[in-house]
Amino acid sequence: MNLPALSITVPRVPVGDGFKAGVDFLKDNLAWLFDIIGTIIEVCVEFLGVTLSEPSATQLFVAASVVVAVGLWLRGHRYSATIPFAVWIAVWAAEAYGGATTAMLSQLDPVLFTWAQSLFGEEARFVYPQLLPAIPLFLALAVLSFTMTRDPRQRRLAIYVICGLAAFIALHFIVGVQLSLLVTMLFVLVAWLIAGTGLAIFSLLGFLLIISMGLFDDAMSTLALIIVATAVAVAIALPLGVLAAYNDRVSNVLKPVLDFMQTLPAFVYLLPAISFFSVGEVPGVIATVIFAMPPGVRLTELGIRQVDKELVEAGEAFGAPDSQILRNIQLPLALSTIMAGINQVIMLSLSMVVIAGMVGASGLGNQVYTGIAQAQIPIGFEGGIGVVILAIYLDRLTGAVTRFSPAAKAQRAAASR
Amino acid sequence: MPPLLVGRRVLRGRTTEEGTVPAVRADKLYKVFGKRANKAVELLGDGRHRDEIKQLDVTAAVIDVNFDVKAGEIFVVMGLSGSGKSTLIRMLNGLLEPTAGTVEIEGTQITGLPPAELRRLRSQKISMVFQHFALFPHRTVLENAAYGLEVRGVPREERLVKAKESLGLVGLDGWEDHLPTQLSGGMQQRVGLARALAADTDIILMDEAFSALDPLIRRDMQSQLLELQATLGKTIVFITHDLNEAMRLGDRICVLRDGRVAQIGTAEEILNDPANDYVAQFVEDVDRTRVLTASSVMEPPIPVIDPSHGPRAALRTMRENQTVSAFVVRRNRQLVGAVREGAIGEAVRNGVKELDGLVDGDIERVHPDTAVADLFHQAAESPYPLAVVDGDGRLVGVIPRVTLLAALAPIGSGDDTGNGAGGGEVAADGEGDSSVKGADEGGATAAASDAPAAEDTDSAAARASDGPPEADTAEEGSER
Ligand SMILES: Nc1ncnc2c1ncn2[C@@H]1O[C@H](COP(=O)(O)OP(=O)(O)O)[C@@H](O)[C@H]1O
Ligand SMILES: [Mg+2]
Repeated sequence: MNLPALSITVPRVPVGDGFKAGVDFLKDNLAWLFDIIGTIIEVCVEFLGVTLSEPSATQLFVAASVVVAVGLWLRGHRYSATIPFAVWIAVWAAEAYGGATTAMLSQLDPVLFTWAQSLFGEEARFVYPQLLPAIPLFLALAVLSFTMTRDPRQRRLAIYVICGLAAFIALHFIVGVQLSLLVTMLFVLVAWLIAGTGLAIFSLLGFLLIISMGLFDDAMSTLALIIVATAVAVAIALPLGVLAAYNDRVSNVLKPVLDFMQTLPAFVYLLPAISFFSVGEVPGVIATVIFAMPPGVRLTELGIRQVDKELVEAGEAFGAPDSQILRNIQLPLALSTIMAGINQVIMLSLSMVVIAGMVGASGLGNQVYTGIAQAQIPIGFEGGIGVVILAIYLDRLTGAVTRFSPAAKAQRAAASR
Repeated sequence: MPPLLVGRRVLRGRTTEEGTVPAVRADKLYKVFGKRANKAVELLGDGRHRDEIKQLDVTAAVIDVNFDVKAGEIFVVMGLSGSGKSTLIRMLNGLLEPTAGTVEIEGTQITGLPPAELRRLRSQKISMVFQHFALFPHRTVLENAAYGLEVRGVPREERLVKAKESLGLVGLDGWEDHLPTQLSGGMQQRVGLARALAADTDIILMDEAFSALDPLIRRDMQSQLLELQATLGKTIVFITHDLNEAMRLGDRICVLRDGRVAQIGTAEEILNDPANDYVAQFVEDVDRTRVLTASSVMEPPIPVIDPSHGPRAALRTMRENQTVSAFVVRRNRQLVGAVREGAIGEAVRNGVKELDGLVDGDIERVHPDTAVADLFHQAAESPYPLAVVDGDGRLVGVIPRVTLLAALAPIGSGDDTGNGAGGGEVAADGEGDSSVKGADEGGATAAASDAPAAEDTDSAAARASDGPPEADTAEEGSER
């Protein structure tokens, strides 16, 4: 018998073309939006990279101010923490757009600045207009730390920061120690304060190795890229996770989308990212955000859902609105889980740096990519080691931060009962 | 005055003055979980059991519940696990929306209230204590206690002061800065209680608040709750599956069975007059001595002797009533003391004309609210029946030892009236009608062991006579 050949033609579904059409449509109609996003990301990454690798005196003062202000904020002095910054930003804007400070400076007798010029060199002239408002900002916050609160911890914090800043400036501008070493010392200090001696020693050796390989600037721009990508990912993931925890339908829709984001090979969305933002840091950041965000959403949802139902009910029973329950009960108790999510986001971001390097982001990823492209084993390996050092440093640091979460404190209290 | 147990009943007089609006009212309340809830309510309304509507694929948790909780009352809802207690209490503060029926809080209907107003009403009128404490582990004990006020927007300093006060009320001075996890279970629940007290609401809901605690600590907490309620006069809706706890705490008890109310009444009513077999079975093994109070077992004080009468008259009164002792009571029913036949007889023979020197003023007096369990000790030490004396020193009843023992017998055993309204009656019917000479001369233990064999002169005497004014007093006592 002759069997008829059974052949059914499955129609071709134009998946790829459809996707391209969608990309083109977005590109044509929302170009302005992508421009804005791209510019913001680029400025952030570059600014952060420069701040980390060769901070200016202004940046140091502002950074020190931020540390003191965060301390004030956490101890309940919100106005004291924010008002100086508001004033500073206003002055800074006036200087940036109207040259107000420069104008004021030119009124003053140049004799006042000769000592500074002899100390800092000829550049001092250019540093001053921006530095000028930053110094009173820091001084104001330091004074507020002593006058607004009797909390000895805030005073101690202020004293440490003043000493640190003075040491940093003196060592660099007067003694002439290079910035990379001083920044390394800062990393070591942070590691020591948050995670203890072990990580401090590791970070000292690790960053010295990076410096000796001549990769410090690359490591800092990679770090900047990761910080920006993580910040963006967390800023998106946190509200999404909260929504998903509150609403089962959102959760059900989100799940496959997150799976899709995580499993779709990165190269596939790298292309459209480049067509939106052209090559450079930005598509790298975007690809990193897409790939790294899912665990942030998942663990935020999990953390909030895990909070004891009776505690939420207690909040409701005393008449607290949902927003208060979220802020005062659910988020604090979910914090250690959320931190675990952020840790995952950072780790996944690091695994993306090579791909980011491929599309033109500078940094260690680029180094590795160059190594691959030119078949230069040493270059690629050194870049890889740099990534590993950063990864371990950030992982242990975020892991240690979890110790400070309220739930972890409660657990320790229970254990020590 | 003898040491009085500051009991829940002391407060009742005051609460009735507070007006007639119930603090909490449940009106034809239903809660049915499931898609076809409304259909289920219809069927349940026609009297079907919740198992009969299984085909609707719904869970009927609360069915046709009606009650009023008076201001200042401890209202206990009791039932086995799954009988709908938690569902019911969550409807009272609007955490759950009833499927049918309404809830009123101090005259305001809360069913159907917009969410914001419901939240305000909760924060101002009703607070809650939870079975597993539900303390916020990331906040100190003090901050936990201040939570209700924080939600209400009270400034920090002020609310911390109030929270500290209420922590003091529950005996947690000095623990303010600890985290809840550092405290033992009993202390944690005290924090839970302090949190509810600091919120300063008139109504407190307590869902199995003591069930997670060890028995001894549970008793402590119960006593503390009674004390606090006596001083603060809160309205408390207390949920429990423990009958003893219900009987100890409740001014009134609502027994839930499979979502329906089986009976609502005072502990004595439920114990002595169960509405159905279910309740009867339930109360079978309750510790009656903890539930019954002096007022519910006491008998009319007969005979009594006026202090102005001479010994001869006193002797005659006792002989007429076939009793060996009698209480001496003024016209305004103030108790003076007691006399014994032996001493009086001798005085008469010696020609003494005045009763004054013969009255034994040092006799055991108990408050009407004292639990029967707490009477045994005093009864054993006294040669006389116990004198039940109210707050103003008036004699309202007497408790002969045999009555005390009879009160221990569960209803139905040796009781032919069965439906007695008060424990006193049950006891009186159970025992003794014969011989005159009682066990009062012998040692206390001897008396106790003799008693079931049925003789106590006083109770016999009590039944033999019917002196009008005193009998009224006693009835008042046992009805309360
Ligand atoms: N959210 C809910 N959804 C479905 N059924 C519920 C829900 N809450 C309670 N129930 C059911 O209602 C009944 C009564 O529960 P509950 O009020 O918790 O009883 P109790 O507190 O007396 O143990 C139980 O059968 C329980 O399974
Ligand atoms: Mg329950």
